[in-house]
Parts: sequence; C-alpha cells; structure tokens
Amino acid sequence: MSKEKSQIGSSWEDLAFPEEIPEPFTEGRAEQEDEEEEDTAANDSEEDVEEGPEKFRPKLLRMLEAAESRWTPQTRDRRRGEPSETGLKDSEEEAVKTNMQIQLNDQQEFNKLPTKAGPRPLSLPVSQSSVDSFSSVGSESSEDESAPQDKPQKTSSGLSDFCIKNIKQAAFGREEIDIAQQGMPALMILRKRAGEEKPLAGAKVVGCTHITAQTAVLIETLAALGAQCRWAACNIFSTQNTVAAALAEGGISVFAWRGESEEDFWWCIDRCVAADSWEPNLILDDGGDLTHWIYKKYPGLFKKLKGIVEESVTGIYRLYQLSKAGKLCVPAMNVNDSVTKQKFDNLYCCKESILDGLKRATNVMFGGKQVVVCGYGEVGKGCCAALKGLGAIIYVTEVDPICAIQACMDGLRVTTLSEIIKHVHMVITCTGNKNVITREHFDRMRSGCIVCNMGHSNTEIDLASLRTAELKWSRVRPHVDHIIWPDGRRIILLAEGRLLNLSCSTVPSFVLSVTAATQALALIELYNAPAGRYKQDVYLLPKKMDEYVASLHLPMFDAHLTELTDEQAQYLGISKHGPFKLNYYR
Amino acid sequence: MSETAGEAKPEVKQASKEVKESENVAEKYSAMTVSKNSDINMGELASVFSAVPSHKPVKKQIQFVEEKQEFSRFPTKTGRRSLSRSISQSSTDSYSSAASYTDSSDDETSPRDKTQINSKGSSDFCVKNIKQAEFGRREIEIAEQDMSALISLRKRAQSEKPLAGAKVVGCTHITAQTAVLIETLVALGAQCRWTACNIYSTQNEVATALAEKGVAVFAWKGESEDDFWWCIDRCVNTEGWQPNMILDDGGDLTHWVYKKYPNVFKKIRGIVEESVTGVHRLYQLSKAGKLCVPAMNVNDSVTKQKFDNLYCCRESILDGLKRTTDVMFGGKQVVVCGYGEVGKGCSAALKALGAVVYVTEIDPICALQACMDGFRVVKLNEVIRLVDVIITCTGNKNVVTRDQLDRMKNGCIVCNMGHSNTEIDVASLRTPELTWERVRSQVDHVIWPDGKRVILLAEGRLLNLSCSTVPTFVLSITATTQALALIELYNAPEGRYKQDVYLLPKKMDEYVASLHLATFDAHLTELTDEQAKYLGLNKNGPFKPNYYRY
Repeated sequence: MSKEKSQIGSSWEDLAFPEEIPEPFTEGRAEQEDEEEEDTAANDSEEDVEEGPEKFRPKLLRMLEAAESRWTPQTRDRRRGEPSETGLKDSEEEAVKTNMQIQLNDQQEFNKLPTKAGPRPLSLPVSQSSVDSFSSVGSESSEDESAPQDKPQKTSSGLSDFCIKNIKQAAFGREEIDIAQQGMPALMILRKRAGEEKPLAGAKVVGCTHITAQTAVLIETLAALGAQCRWAACNIFSTQNTVAAALAEGGISVFAWRGESEEDFWWCIDRCVAADSWEPNLILDDGGDLTHWIYKKYPGLFKKLKGIVEESVTGIYRLYQLSKAGKLCVPAMNVNDSVTKQKFDNLYCCKESILDGLKRATNVMFGGKQVVVCGYGEVGKGCCAALKGLGAIIYVTEVDPICAIQACMDGLRVTTLSEIIKHVHMVITCTGNKNVITREHFDRMRSGCIVCNMGHSNTEIDLASLRTAELKWSRVRPHVDHIIWPDGRRIILLAEGRLLNLSCSTVPSFVLSVTAATQALALIELYNAPAGRYKQDVYLLPKKMDEYVASLHLPMFDAHLTELTDEQAQYLGISKHGPFKLNYYR
Repeated sequence: MSETAGEAKPEVKQASKEVKESENVAEKYSAMTVSKNSDINMGELASVFSAVPSHKPVKKQIQFVEEKQEFSRFPTKTGRRSLSRSISQSSTDSYSSAASYTDSSDDETSPRDKTQINSKGSSDFCVKNIKQAEFGRREIEIAEQDMSALISLRKRAQSEKPLAGAKVVGCTHITAQTAVLIETLVALGAQCRWTACNIYSTQNEVATALAEKGVAVFAWKGESEDDFWWCIDRCVNTEGWQPNMILDDGGDLTHWVYKKYPNVFKKIRGIVEESVTGVHRLYQLSKAGKLCVPAMNVNDSVTKQKFDNLYCCRESILDGLKRTTDVMFGGKQVVVCGYGEVGKGCSAALKALGAVVYVTEIDPICALQACMDGFRVVKLNEVIRLVDVIITCTGNKNVVTRDQLDRMKNGCIVCNMGHSNTEIDVASLRTPELTWERVRSQVDHVIWPDGKRVILLAEGRLLNLSCSTVPTFVLSITATTQALALIELYNAPEGRYKQDVYLLPKKMDEYVASLHLATFDAHLTELTDEQAKYLGLNKNGPFKPNYYRY
C-alpha cells in the first residue's frame, strides 16, 4: 500500500481533492445519483459529476490548508498516500466515494473553522487541481481551457452581466437547486410569507459566499423578496459551476467558477462591486474578503451601505478589529453567534455526527465503553449526550469550572486526562484548544484506543509528536490510521486529527438551512431597520429575528407553537409575537 | 441521614407555607420583569440591546426569575405580605413534627422585652432564647456538612482575610444554611449584624447560636411587622458602628437604610441583593438615578440560575410527584407547558423514567430545542384529552384553564412548577358543581358531577416548594455566590463599580462553581501556558465571554 501511495501522489494536495469529491451534501446520495444520471444523458457527465464534489471542496481545502501548516514532511508523505487510496476506491465503487465525500464537506459552514480558507488555498497552483486523481469526477476544467473571463456568454434572455464557466449547464444547476429546496423548506416558507411584502425591495445585495445549491436557494430567496443580487465566490474551489450557471440564467450576476486563480478571485469580487450604475447597499460576506476589498478599493461605497452581514468567525473577527479601531463605518451583523445557528452548528449537529463518524470509521460498539470527552462546551455536551444514550461510560475533562459543574450535574465524571487515559477506549477532543492530547498521553493509552477530534482544526491532538521513527503508521481505510508502537500496541487515529464530523460524517442540509435563513433575516433586519437603530458597530442578530429563524423551521417537525392570549401577553409584559426572551437569556 | 433531612425540611416547608400566601406577589413580579432587562449591561450585547426597541424583554425573566425567586430565596418578600394573614396559618400546617423544639409556644414574652446576655457577656442581639444555642450549633454543624464550598472558601481565604474591616449588615432568612454563610463572612474578617428578611423563616435556635458566637442577630420566629422593622433598625442603628456593606434579600434593609439613614450610604461600598424583588427595586432606583452605591445582582449569576431552575427542578419534579401521588411514570403521557430551564429539567427527568413527554411553547427557539431533544411540540388543546400528567412551568398565568380541566381524562394529575399559583386557573374550579376532596396533605381530588376526578397538587402552588425540598447543595451555591459578591465589591479597586446594578463578574461565577467541584470529586484540567496563549485566555479564567450561553 505504502508504495502505491507514494507513486501516486505527486502532491498531496491534488490527491486530497478526491477525498473531498465524494462529499455530497446532506441531502445525500440520491441527489448525487440523480446528477450523475442526468450527466450521462447530457454527455456532460464529467461536469455534472463534479458538482457534487465541488460543493464540498472549499471546506476541505480550508481544512487541508490549515492542516498543512502543521504537517511535518513525514506527514506529507502520508497524505500522498491518502488520496491515492481514495482514488482507487472511487474507481472501484462510487458509493463508497460518496460517503467519503460527504464526510469532508460541511465542515466549514458548520463549524466555521478556517473560514478564510478561500483565499488561502489560492496559494496552491491551480494546475494541481486538475492533476489529481479525482479525474473522473473533476474533469470539468479539461473540457474547456479558456478562462471564463475571456468568453462572452449570454443567458437566454440576453443578459451578459455575469461570468461563469458555461451558461449551457444551467439546466443541470436548476435541478440541483430544486433538490436543495426540498431540504430547505424554511427559506421556501420565508418566500411565501414575505413574498408579498417584498421586504428587500430596493435592496442591492452584493454577496460573497460559497456558491452551492444551498446558497443558490438563499440567493433566489433574496431575489424573490425583492433584492437585486450580485454574487462572487468566497472560495476558489467551492463553486458548483452548474449552479452558478443556473443562477446566471435566472438573471443574477454571478462571477464565479470552480478553480479560480487568486487573480480571478479578486477579479470576480471586483466585477461584483464595480458595476456601472449599480451601487450595493447591503453586503453578505463569508470570510470578510468582499468587505476587505470594498474597504480598500471602493471606500466611497460605504456611504450607501446599510449594513454588512458576516457569517464566518474569521470575518467577524476582522469586523470587530475594524470596529475597535473605529474604522467600521456601517453597521455589521454577526450571524454566526445567533442562538439558533450556534445550537445547530454545535450541539445538535455534533450530537449526531459523533456517533455517525465513529461508526462509519470504526464500527465500534459504544455500550459499556469508557470514553473521555475533552471539553464540555456545546460540542462536548452533544457528544456526551449521544454517547450516554448508547450506554457508554463517560468522563469529561474541563478547564472552566462552570462547565465542569454542569458535567457533574449531568452525571459525568470530571477528571483530568492523565488520570483516566490508561483506562479509556475512546478519546474525543472538543476544546478548541491545542495539544490537548500529547505524546505522553498517547504513550499511556491502552491498545486499541480510538482517538478523534470534534473540536477545532487539527490542533487539538499533537500529531507532530507521533511522526517519529519508532512508531509505525498504517492506513487501514480512509480516515483511519493505526499507529503502532514498538511493543505492538495500536492506537486508532481518525481523520488524522482533523474534524471527525467533517471528515467522516455529513452536515445535514437542515443545518445549512438554519444558516441561510439566519443570513436572509439579518439582511432584512439591516435593510428595514429605522435609521439610528444600528450604529457603526458589530451587532448580534436581534432576538426576535433569531426566534423567527427557529419558527421557520418548526413546520418540519410538525410542531405547533402555542400562542399567548392577550391577557397572558399583558401579564408577562411582552408582545404576543416575541421576542420572548431577554438578550442575555441563556 | 434521616436526622439531617428532618432538620432541613422544616425550613423548606415553612417557606412553602408562606408561598401560599404570596399569591398576590405575582402581579408585582410581572411588572418588575418588564423593566429589568433594559438595565442590565451585558458588555457587547449592550449595544444590540439598546439598539433594539425595548419591547422585547420581559417574559423570560419572569419565567425563571420568578421561579427561582420563590423557590430559592423563597418567599422573599412574602414575609411581610403574609403579615396580613393570621399567624396561626403557618402553625397549622403539616410540617409540625419537624419544627418542634423551638416553638414559640414555650415562651410567650416578646424577645424585645427580655434582657439576655451571651456567655461572653455581650447583650447586643435579640433572639428568642439564648439558652438554645447548643441546638442551633448542632444544626449549623449539620448544614456545614453539605456546604463544603463555604468551608473551603474559609480555608482558602482565611489567611488573606479578604473582608477584614468589612462591616456587613445583613437581612436574609436566618437558617442553618445562612448561619454558615454568616460565620464564613466572620471567618474572612467581617463584622456582621444580621436580621431576618421574613417573619416566619427564622430558626430560633440558629439565631441563638449565632448570637452566642458574638454575631449581633435580631430575629425570631413569628415577629410582628413592628418587630420586623424594629429588628432592622437595631441592626443598622448602633452607636460606634457604621456598616460598609449590605447583604439583602428582598430589599427591605436597603429600603430602610435609604429612607431612614441615607447618610449611611456615604460609607457603603456596595449592596449585594439576592431576590428578584430586591433586584427589581434596585433597578428602579438606578433608573431614577437615586442609586448612590454599586449594587450586585447575584440572582442572575449563571451558576445560581442553573441550580435554582434546571438542576433543582429536574429532581424535585419526580420527588414532588412521587411523594404526593406515588404515580409511576413509565409510559405515562405527560405534557410539560413551557420549555425554559425548568421545563427542560422536568422533561429530561420524566423522559429518563420512560414517560411520553409533550411540550407546549410560545417561543420558537425553545420550541425548536424541544424538537431537537425529541419532544413533540403541541398545543395543549391537542393533547389535553390524552395526557395523564400536566406540568406547568411557563411563568405565565392561566395556562391551564377551566375549559381544559373540563376535558381532561379521569385521574389526570395537574401540578405547577412555574410561578406562584397563577398558571393553573384554580379559581375557576371553585364552583358549586365540583366537589373538592382533600385526600392527603397537598393533594386535592376535584370531582366533576359525572364522577371524573382531577388530581390537583398543592392547590396549584409550586410543587417543588410544597411537596419537595430544596437541597442544601443549592442553598450552598447561593450562599457562596453572595459571599463572593461581597468580597468582590469590598475589594474592587475604586472606579470598577459605579453607581449601578451589576451582574457578578464571570470570574467570580466560575469561582463559585469551582468551589463546589470538590463535592463531586471532580478534577479540573489546567491550561498549560502554551494553551492559554493559544486561546488568548488567562489560565485562571474567566474562560468565556459574557454573552456565552452555557
């Protein structure tokens, strides 16, 4: 195996793609299969196939990129191996791939992780992306080598204010968007409820997000609510070309294709912003690149801006810095920290993916197993609840006494890692910290111990310390490594310490739907807020909007919300329609 | 064990008794709830907060605030209110056996008229009977067993004496648990003068034990309203002693000082207020610009809130239902009205016993949480015919109406974990065609003309106060929070606290939690220097931003 790997991999990055490719969104395989069928029909099989993978790539890249910095040369070698395996598998059976892909994809959005990954991957040569083993899937670029910038294209209605790979793919993209709509009923409900009011009439939104079927649903929702949209991709690899084509065909000015160069990336953003006789009054950003570009190149535009909606941790961090420096001259909305979104990104999503990820990767049985979960924040709480439900015996390590006492009250033993490390069958990290598991801990683990990370990037497990000569690494299947000590002891490391939920599980479209609905409502709020409600600062989504996001998703559970009577509302001193809680309600 | 339990109970029961009388307090709560949110400064959130029209606030607070109010600090203000009722009510009830040995019956003269001297010759106190000190000491020792956090605080901070020079005047329930708090303050260097915030809640023997130890205590069980204010006055108005800290529960002491001795405020470094009512009063003062010292709202600290609501109710719902009805939960259909902290606790506990749980909610965020936790979110009317148990925890009024009571199935159990006794429209059941039958203490069968019975617990008052107990551990959290708030206010550098109402700093909140971890034999992980740097945190906390939702 190792030989094969080394032969195959020219650069791990290339290879890495294949891994990603398989990731279909939550909606799942059905979609992908559909796509593929269509593809064949259209003779366009290559491209269509790609779409699935494309969605996920951005995230992958980010992860990989983040991971890359930490890899030692040895690690790199290993990595090369990975892709090859995946590649082989792909050729063997599609199904497997899909699963795999699924794993990687959603991370980003959902954990927000290395948000800025978009631009970062730019540093990789574009050519690499065409080299890799996911060829069957990713052949798109080969079919047409001319840069999209150089091709004049027109939609069926004669518009040419866009720049995408191939407008002819619009029909396929439309299919994808239709499928995505099934998984995102909240946005569809929003369209219905607010369609008549057109709360965004007159809004000119310039957006920079991943361009996938899910975001397309968001964009079209914004358009349905009255907004004019111009869109660019926030990641050079994540664009689904067919979806971009469908959007363009629908009349939205999209500037994005998969595999942009860094230069292309900024060109697209510039085209979005610098349109003749069109000045944006709202920004929807993911990662802060668009905001950054406007700030640097077109500061005059800020005069007309009503606000910025930012989704990623990175972008928010930038905004807070701007705000601190007194340089933020429009209101900005931090949608990442809204209650509903946070709960879904962390607690609920991880509660499911920890089991899914571990099962897919190892087939382990949880009953009676001793598990230590490092960190008892939202992610840790979710993991513990899920594992406890299966009868595992759980230990928790914490640094924050409040979270620690919550763990105690939830019936979990709070301990330090070194006290318990000899006994446990599984170690799960979700601290957001670095080097939570050190070589010393590894040396004391029992044989067969499973180590994985649900937390943050790949810093939590000190992998570098395992890349030593006396330890043998053996890849037993994708995302699963056995590390063998000289005495024969084996440690099972999942996803090389990267996020398990991204690598070995999926992000449900329901979660993406929560994010998209939050973004849409943040735009509506900013656009319709009376002058003076928002100053030049970074705001959290108002509780009422947050509640509305939740209420849009309730129909999916067939949940029936109780309404306050007038008398009761008066008694409580609140409006019948919310907000129901104080902002600091926990 | 049984002994401890026995002793702890009287307090609780007592409290619940008074809650009964406090019904009218409810309206007041709601009023206060409304205004409260606007005043709280939550750092980053503040801007958002102010930016958003102020309409939103209230409801939540009510929900949890109130509950807690009644429940952890009990009938804080009820004391005085209940004065209007005949005292005999409180002596009528079922906790009689527990409350025995310091009963008022043994001595009819008012403590005010008796001159008493403790063994050290001091007479600066006023309690029922100084000779009972030994009993009280035993009670305090028992309470100390469960309040290891305060004991370890004593040990950790004793050498520093962080309260050296502090002169604390306090007005709280005087029970074995607060005695542990008071003695902790003394051990940390404070001088204390204490009075009761409730005319019924004082444990005479505990007050005596405190007096014997040299704390100037003015309190006995069964004070008159006149006595009540006299005691407060004696606490504040002493020659050669001016308080510089106030520890209040209900705001009466603050009110008295404010009215009678405004000059005292010049020396006051801060007020620590525990009850919802008192906090509300402080916010009103602050709004009116009349608050001239910093005040600390300990009621809304994270740790305290979690214990008062989530953890405590999670246990007491089962305990309360079992004690009163001996119901078996497995397979029973239960509807929980409200999915706030209390509702979450109740639902989790019932689910664990195999009950089929439905939830009703008005807040979509909480409703979505219920969905994701695997509960069906319904309207009460949809399931009212099916369910075996109805539990209200909304903080609202008339959640269960006569109409719904009419449609319940035979044998349905109705109880309230929420807020005062407003949630169930009990008044509508007081009609001639319905027969009420008290089958045991706190349990009424309401019988319809067709023979249908509905089982109403505690007449719609709080089940956890009426039919269950408040564990000492929860009281320990409260007491520790108060102690740390005093320390924080007393030692804060000038200028940190202005004349406003503050929440307990995150770091102190975390410290409260950490003091209690020893109970669980929990071992906290420490950040390495490298990790702390990576996270941009101090190794010793605070670990979370103020707006973090635990």
